[in-house]
Amino acid sequence: MRASLFITCYNDTLYPETGRAVVRLLERLGVEVEFRAAQTCCGQMHANTGFRTEAYSQAKRLVRLYQDAETVVIPSSSCVAMIRDQYSGLIEELGNQELREQFAALLPRVYELSEFLIDRLGVDDVGAYFPHRVTYHASCHGLRALGLGDRPFRLLAKVRGLELVALENLDRCCGFGGTFSIKNAEVSSAMLSTKLLDVQKTGAEYCTALDNSCLMHLGGALHRQFAAMKTVHLAEILASTEADLMETTP
Amino acid sequence: MRPPANEGHPVLDPVLAAPFPQAAFTVLRNTQLRKNVAHATDVIQGKRNRLVAEKADWQELRSAASAVRTHVLENLGHYLEQFEERCTAAGGTVHWAKDAAEARAIILDILREEQASEVIKIKTMTSAEIQLNPAIEAAGIKAFETDLAEIILQLGDDEPSHIVVPALHVNRTQVREIFARKMNLPELSDDPKELTAAARTFLREKFLRVPTAISGANFLIAETGSVVIVESEGNGRMCLTLPRTMITLAGIEKVIPRFHDLEIMLQVLARSATGERMNPYSSLWTGVTPGDGPQRFHVVLLDNGRSDILARRGERQTLKCIRCGACQNTCPVYRQTGGHAYGSPYAGPIGAILTPQLMHLEHAQTLPYASSLCGACYEVCPVKINIPEVLIDLRAQVTDKERDEERRFFDPMYLGMRIANFIFASAGRFRLAQRMGRLGLRLFTRNDGWIHSLPSLGARWTMTRDLRGLPDETFREWWAARDRKGE
Amino acid sequence: MKMAPISRQAILDRIRKATGGGAPDVAGSYAGLHRDYVRAGKLGAEERIALMIERLREYDAEVVETAPDSLAEATQGQLAASGRRRFVAPAGLPAEWLAEGFEWQIDRGLSTAEIEQAEGVVTAAFCGIADSGTIVLHHSAAEGRRIISLLPDWHLCVLRASQVVETLPEYFARCSEAPVLATYISGPSATADIEMTRIKGVHGPRFLHVIVVRDDVTAR
Repeated sequence: MRASLFITCYNDTLYPETGRAVVRLLERLGVEVEFRAAQTCCGQMHANTGFRTEAYSQAKRLVRLYQDAETVVIPSSSCVAMIRDQYSGLIEELGNQELREQFAALLPRVYELSEFLIDRLGVDDVGAYFPHRVTYHASCHGLRALGLGDRPFRLLAKVRGLELVALENLDRCCGFGGTFSIKNAEVSSAMLSTKLLDVQKTGAEYCTALDNSCLMHLGGALHRQFAAMKTVHLAEILASTEADLMETTP
Repeated sequence: MRPPANEGHPVLDPVLAAPFPQAAFTVLRNTQLRKNVAHATDVIQGKRNRLVAEKADWQELRSAASAVRTHVLENLGHYLEQFEERCTAAGGTVHWAKDAAEARAIILDILREEQASEVIKIKTMTSAEIQLNPAIEAAGIKAFETDLAEIILQLGDDEPSHIVVPALHVNRTQVREIFARKMNLPELSDDPKELTAAARTFLREKFLRVPTAISGANFLIAETGSVVIVESEGNGRMCLTLPRTMITLAGIEKVIPRFHDLEIMLQVLARSATGERMNPYSSLWTGVTPGDGPQRFHVVLLDNGRSDILARRGERQTLKCIRCGACQNTCPVYRQTGGHAYGSPYAGPIGAILTPQLMHLEHAQTLPYASSLCGACYEVCPVKINIPEVLIDLRAQVTDKERDEERRFFDPMYLGMRIANFIFASAGRFRLAQRMGRLGLRLFTRNDGWIHSLPSLGARWTMTRDLRGLPDETFREWWAARDRKGE
Repeated sequence: MKMAPISRQAILDRIRKATGGGAPDVAGSYAGLHRDYVRAGKLGAEERIALMIERLREYDAEVVETAPDSLAEATQGQLAASGRRRFVAPAGLPAEWLAEGFEWQIDRGLSTAEIEQAEGVVTAAFCGIADSGTIVLHHSAAEGRRIISLLPDWHLCVLRASQVVETLPEYFARCSEAPVLATYISGPSATADIEMTRIKGVHGPRFLHVIVVRDDVTAR
């Protein structure tokens, strides 16, 4: 089984430890990981802000890059949602027949991380060890666009030593929303403070999710407030074992 | 009492309203309003969710509702003509208004013909859309709202903030204050029962006296030429039974094909709007019935930009809306700001797509961005309007307009996006940008490895959030090194 | 209103242009729409009536059951218990329901003022929908004009068990013709406009009484 890792532009730059964890995890599970250096961005930021033509050119690059990949694994549900929900519309509007076909052929091979583990590898116990109290935040794209359902919970349930505390109002948006966090920073912050009430209430040491975008927003505020809680991508929890505890971040 | 937004009376005119971020900024400091809005939306959502959970065929109903509404829009001309024919045959008079000004003129003409000095109204957002009340008042005619929420707003010199529960931003103490003052009831308590009783008495004499009424419509039935109004309080029944003349104002998209289609629409509307299996009162009438109800009946069909929305493939679904308000109740943005921040009678998710389109994107251009694209609205919409999809579409249209404008060179967001695209077009450029970014941000990174303050657009992030400093090694640098080591 | 014909054509033209004129076969297209929602109810007669009564009681309506030959007695009982004397009745209301000892105003064109004087009203109904506890009036001769079930504060509705269906689609299936007038009553009027606190009885009758006539029992 070969997996081509699409790290995402922001993980690459801001959260490389998530990428390293994905590699460690998948290799531990016997997957051969490759990384195509020509990758940059899936185009979501541009598409969602109104820069459609720009998003299209990024989409075109991505589709062409992964033509012959056996599978593409992405540790970011919003990027997968971009590919699944918006690529066909973009390509329809601005593309050509060849690109349409290439995309159609690629789409079934694209996986969000938890989908890859549960659906493609058929595993929920990845041999992880993470002795901490953890709460899981369901990012909107994972929840609604991808319908991840109980996949992350099944994976977390098998992590040894982990105590999972449920997050109330799980389906309420944290307020990140991409450029929304900048263009409507006040409302974004208001939504964030509402979300943090629920997050803090869990008393967890870590808040985890399948998207570092939400975690950047939640974690940024937790850090600002000198809160005792940290954020961590689910990949890093799953990569952590007794022998190989989660990397301490700078 | 009133939210402090826009310094006093809320401005629900998209032409005049402040941009959403600015309007929201002021409103967010009104903690009473935020508490009221959160409470109200929680209550309705809770009721709605319980009823939806018990309805085994809820998704099938949504699909059918969406299919019927889509079919109507595809054949709108046919159904409107059929409605007009049947309604006219039943004794009604059908008027067509291409825009708000014409609709106001038609209605005022009718009122003048009737020599009306007063008019009673059933709540209708469409009349707020065409700014009818000020026009009526300017003509020397008194317009009395009869919905409890609308009276609260009218007497309180306020504006609606929600499609279904327009005064949800007002609490009982505030209502007591308004009623005590305007109804001259200084002894009035803030017990909702007493407040409601005061409204009942206040309105009764108007129902029995005023001979002209204005309503909106929930549905127009093409097959029969009938009109359907759903409500909770009974003021609708009063207005459509007691007066001599009835004027119904309805957007052209309100039509449904057949009477039997109500079996879908009523099931999804009541549950979505108020979390009930059926509204307390739903009324259907057809033209004029001798001896029962108004003997003069007018329908004013309103276009006002709807036919333009109809023409756009991706946006047409906006017109499927049956004005249930479920999207507002579930929206995490609306929860924080309430309706006034949207500067339009249509607020929340549906407002964010409908208002700019009715304005031909000349105004309300910030509304499509008033969303984190979480998709909760789409999930609850009984007619399956993909609101996030339309929002993204509208953002593209707003951006395309900016491409031709001078100001784009001074817009850091626009410039940033164009530069980012340039960078993403090449891995080499991307690597370089990563290195430059890492270097540049070091200036702002403190000893703990975190950034607490950034300039320009970055300040919008750091006003409430820290940002972890860029790590010394990107993922691709780590991978390349690993590759070189031959792992 | 000379503008109106011009706008009418302009609007229809714009619509036609926007939709490409619509489907060539609108009726066929309409008939082809998928309707996979529940149409028929699943409950037996007993359960259906029980559900109707339960829902009505949830709305604080007073409900009593009666056999067909005890209907006059049941009506008398409800009227007596109301403490009211002056009632309005539709012109087509069965004479047996006009109990003795009360002041009856039969509506053959009563004025609003006269109806406003009444303390209650008695009507039949067209249908009851158990799922939502809805009483449907089509304003036939025995149900009366809309005004008489609107102004008085107390409404006694006589509903036959054979008129009760379970689901909303089943009601529509019973309408071989669409009604010209219809009122659907699901509880007394209410508002939740003040802090979402449900207050009953804004306009319209605050007291709803229903007699369910078990005309279905022998038909089992």
